[in-house]
Amino acid sequence: MKPVYYAQLALLSCILLSGCFNKSEQHTTGMGQLLDGDIKGYSPVVPGVTLSFPEDHQAHNGFRQEWWYLTANLTTASGEQLGLQWTQFRIALAPPKTTATVEKPVTQTNSWQTQQLYMSHTAITTKTEHLAAERWSRGHDNLSGTQANPLIIQQDDWQWRSDDQHLFPATLKVTTADFNYQLKLDSQAPFQLQGDAGYSRKNASGTVASYYYSQPFIKVSGTIEHQGELIRVSGDAWLDREWSSQFLSKTQQGWDWFALRLNDGSALMLFQLRDNSGKQQDFFSAKRMYPDGSGTLISSDQISMTATAWQQTSSGRYPVAWEISIPSQAIAISTKALNDDANMPLSIPYWEGPIQISGSHSGLGYMELTGY
Amino acid sequence: MSSPVADNWLTIRLTLAVFSQHYRKSPLQAGAILLGIVLAVTLLIGVRATNENAIRSYSEATELLSQRAQLLLAPSSGKKAIDESIYFKLRQAGITQALAVLNDTVTDNQGQRWDIQASDLIAALSIQTAQDATQQKQPEQYTPANEQQSASLLSVDLPLDKLLAGAPYILMSQSFADDVASSGVMILNNIKLNVIRLPDELGLGNAILMDISLGQRLVNRRGQLSYIALFGQAEQLTQQVNQVFNHQTSQFFDIAVQDDGEGLTSLTRSFHLNLTAMSLLAFVVGLFIAYNGVRYSLLKRQKLLVQLQQQGVPQNALLLALLTELLALVIIGSLLGFILGLQLSHWLQPIIALTLEQLYGARLMPGLWQWSWLYQAIGLTFIAALVACYPLFTTLAKQPLARSASRFEQQSQAKRKHVKLFIIALSLLGIAGLLFPFTQDYQHSLALLGVVTFAIPLLLPFTLQLGLTIVERFSKNGLWRYAVAESKELIAPLSLAMMAMLLALTANISMNTLVGSFEITLKSWLDDRLYADLYIRPPNDKVAATQAFLSTQPKVTAIFGQWVHNSQYQQAPLSLMTRDAHSLRNSNQIKVSSNNHWQTFFDAKSVMISEPLAIKYRLNVGDKISLPEFEQANVEPLMISAIFYDYGNPLGQIIVSQTTWQQLGLSELPTSIAASYANDIVELETLLQQKLSLSEAQMYNQTKIKQRALEIFKRTFSITLVLNSLTLLVAAIGLFSACLMLTQARQAPLARLYALGVSRNQLRGLVSGQMLIIVLFTCLLALPTGALLGYLLINKVTLQAFGWSIAMVWDWLAYFRVLLIAILASAAAVIAPLVWQTRKPLISSLQQEAL
Repeated sequence: MKPVYYAQLALLSCILLSGCFNKSEQHTTGMGQLLDGDIKGYSPVVPGVTLSFPEDHQAHNGFRQEWWYLTANLTTASGEQLGLQWTQFRIALAPPKTTATVEKPVTQTNSWQTQQLYMSHTAITTKTEHLAAERWSRGHDNLSGTQANPLIIQQDDWQWRSDDQHLFPATLKVTTADFNYQLKLDSQAPFQLQGDAGYSRKNASGTVASYYYSQPFIKVSGTIEHQGELIRVSGDAWLDREWSSQFLSKTQQGWDWFALRLNDGSALMLFQLRDNSGKQQDFFSAKRMYPDGSGTLISSDQISMTATAWQQTSSGRYPVAWEISIPSQAIAISTKALNDDANMPLSIPYWEGPIQISGSHSGLGYMELTGY
Repeated sequence: MSSPVADNWLTIRLTLAVFSQHYRKSPLQAGAILLGIVLAVTLLIGVRATNENAIRSYSEATELLSQRAQLLLAPSSGKKAIDESIYFKLRQAGITQALAVLNDTVTDNQGQRWDIQASDLIAALSIQTAQDATQQKQPEQYTPANEQQSASLLSVDLPLDKLLAGAPYILMSQSFADDVASSGVMILNNIKLNVIRLPDELGLGNAILMDISLGQRLVNRRGQLSYIALFGQAEQLTQQVNQVFNHQTSQFFDIAVQDDGEGLTSLTRSFHLNLTAMSLLAFVVGLFIAYNGVRYSLLKRQKLLVQLQQQGVPQNALLLALLTELLALVIIGSLLGFILGLQLSHWLQPIIALTLEQLYGARLMPGLWQWSWLYQAIGLTFIAALVACYPLFTTLAKQPLARSASRFEQQSQAKRKHVKLFIIALSLLGIAGLLFPFTQDYQHSLALLGVVTFAIPLLLPFTLQLGLTIVERFSKNGLWRYAVAESKELIAPLSLAMMAMLLALTANISMNTLVGSFEITLKSWLDDRLYADLYIRPPNDKVAATQAFLSTQPKVTAIFGQWVHNSQYQQAPLSLMTRDAHSLRNSNQIKVSSNNHWQTFFDAKSVMISEPLAIKYRLNVGDKISLPEFEQANVEPLMISAIFYDYGNPLGQIIVSQTTWQQLGLSELPTSIAASYANDIVELETLLQQKLSLSEAQMYNQTKIKQRALEIFKRTFSITLVLNSLTLLVAAIGLFSACLMLTQARQAPLARLYALGVSRNQLRGLVSGQMLIIVLFTCLLALPTGALLGYLLINKVTLQAFGWSIAMVWDWLAYFRVLLIAILASAAAVIAPLVWQTRKPLISSLQQEAL
């Protein structure tokens, strides 16, 4: 899961819906203030709902926001490390009910009418380079959205296309002004339901939550075209699917999220929600996951993490190296970014890039930092 | 020990100090000079800012709420729309820097038509600047008031939920919304739409924008686009598009590279030239006032200057001091004028914007200004003032140290000068008269018009002199004879202000004549052109049904058709059209034609072209013409057998016979259908609405079109009339200030008359009578000069610039109206100081002589 995007989308939706749009406000106003959106009319996230596949791979338009989120640690034919990210976001502009009650003075309808807005991000990161791109469009059969069979998640010419209605095997094709890529994705491992069977809490009291499942064990191969050069790549990827209607609690300011593949074959999903009120504890959540589908939830009090190095980038100052300790799992690791300048200078700036793990375990992973 | 240079500087400084004391004593003089400069510069800058902004808007035109497009995909020949699937196909192929746009016209409840634009708002807002295009074109201009903001999804405050849902919300700039939808609601095509106001800086101008989800439904055009704008590099985009459509693009759309506004600039050139000419005229009028002020202040300082020289101030230092004073006045005046001019432009822009948008489809961006305008204004004003005043300066500085010439000598000098001016004026008019028959280009004609305009005021002093001498001969002895005799002496000091007035009156009369004549011509042309009762533009799929329906209606007495195809001639857009035989014969007022015109025309051997096209490209009957469509269909170039009148249409027109049309293989479906009806036309309109569900916006009855045409016409000239009135106002202010100064200067002689027993009332009558005589003479002279200028404007400038032949019609009412304004202005100018002066104690007025 990518809790960090709650904050971003909250901000985004706020900007889009109510117009707290001044750029300077984005920085000076506490995130919490911006997260106070009206959720009336949207589907609530409640515990005890059974996620079912392949249906839940599709968009859930009744919820306020949703994403399909892929990060990959790849190696080129020449042995160079490379990170790749692809995300498609869906943001509902209004709850479904109001769509129905919108004044309809013009009796006919057309395909352009929608309440869904889509935004996609992609990036590739090497030691020396970080390229990012963004797409926006409305939900529309011919522009962006999802299709069931075969499963397609697309925005313009950026397209996840599965062989059938299931997520895997699939092809991901993306073209940007600076780079293109085409990847084959496959996974035999069962999906990992985060939190309580897919119900993932976002604060201690459990008043904010999302539906969240992951696939941390994806095999990737394909080509990346960059500056006229065709590069063969292969490696591992991680997919997160998450949807919800409510944002962070008012005092939460941002997120630090980690997707780690450890050298013992397990994977670790870990995040902290930073509280800026001074009254509440920061909220931690983690899960140790194995390719056979088993996993262990790790509660907030067992996790400690400390930033050890900061990087000033073009879009803000981010903590790019961390010490993470989970004694109950015998994990005591340090993380280091492949490229400290992996900030995403897009409509909403954040940091997202590949990292290396050392300490009790070694391995590779992805990190996302927002709200800085 | 001080050097001679330092000495000189000291002297100049002292002299300047004396001058400033002089102005402190008589602020009116400095005021008059400043006023002239301020007015001149205000109008110059006001119009310049307006013009340059418009031209910049053409070249930097962006898509609404978005960036500047490099490539436009437009409907292919003969089609009205592009299918929206093209847009989706482009995006799916990765050409995502693309914007779908639908333009159309809607009608409000009062029957007024509005152009609307609907676009994919998300695309518009999220398109990034095409780096190459913008980086190359760093504008040198600075727009401090409103740094051109480029909108993005996150920087604009929009209720996207409502817009994307297709709810009735439209976007307008704040100021346009204030003008036309102050209630926050507009009813278009019978649908109530909520207006969302966006900051003017976003450059919406006078556009009505909405999301395409609403737009397509509002105008009942589902699935249709007017064009697709592409952003990036034109060549690369063309290549990509060709790849996507396997080089078969022409069957779906035409690819057009966005020009840098050349098309619009050439279309609107004459319009802007018109404005520039008006502003220069106003500038000249303003300078007249300033010059008058300088002259008067020098006259008052004659004695002072002599005294200064007697004190040992060298001539050079005196001259330098006078120049410095002039420069200071010019700088202060220009600065004030600059500020006021920008404000004026701010007021003028909405008027211009409406004209340009409705007539030429150009959209104006928020205003900008440049410091260089100020420098240029200062330079221009200073040079003009210098040229005008230098002779005065040198005469004054060089006058003999003994008291200057006697009053009598001054008078006879003035008379000689008046004769000289008159002769210069006549020679200039003669030269212009000789050259005018040879001009082909409106720019040359305008230059000659400038010469005539310059010559006209020079005629005035002598004419006044002459007129008053004649009146003197017929007036009785006594006070009135004295009054007339003295009036002659007033000509010299007043002549400049009167010249300015004459110029303004002449310009005003000539413009009124032009506008009035044009209106009459246009009406008569419309009467001929619009022979049918109802004009219908059904959507393509309803054309046949409409024709069929009309032919079954017993009360429909005739059905006509018109076919239009958008073409190009020498890179300029043009309409290629044909009509049914009856319409072809009866709907065009032919200007010239060959002997066997109709025969060759219907034999598909010749074409008719519109007058503006003929004049623009100097085409005559007998010439051959070809269009790209001719080449495509292997049709040989055709002869022009007739030229027909066409007014108010920015596009050229070529009319071919139906046979030729078929040979060219153009669309068989008529673009519009017209019908004559034997009953109330509303009945037919209602029938069409009910039976074929045609919307009101798709039908026009004759009255409506005429209304609309005249409305556009009025808008085109509204700006000219505004500037004209401003010029007249400037002249009136000039006259006022001249009279004020003169009356003040005449305090002593008036006091003498009073001492001799002339009553106050008689004195007031005397002074007013004198002024009235002079003003009336000026107005009388403005009659022929106004007619002359009007004639040239109509038969030379307008004809050559717009290509419109206009029959000149003299408007007495307009003449008397400006006459009345002139008299009122001078009456106010005379009476105010007079009342105030004749009340002053006698002795103080008498003392004026000694001072």
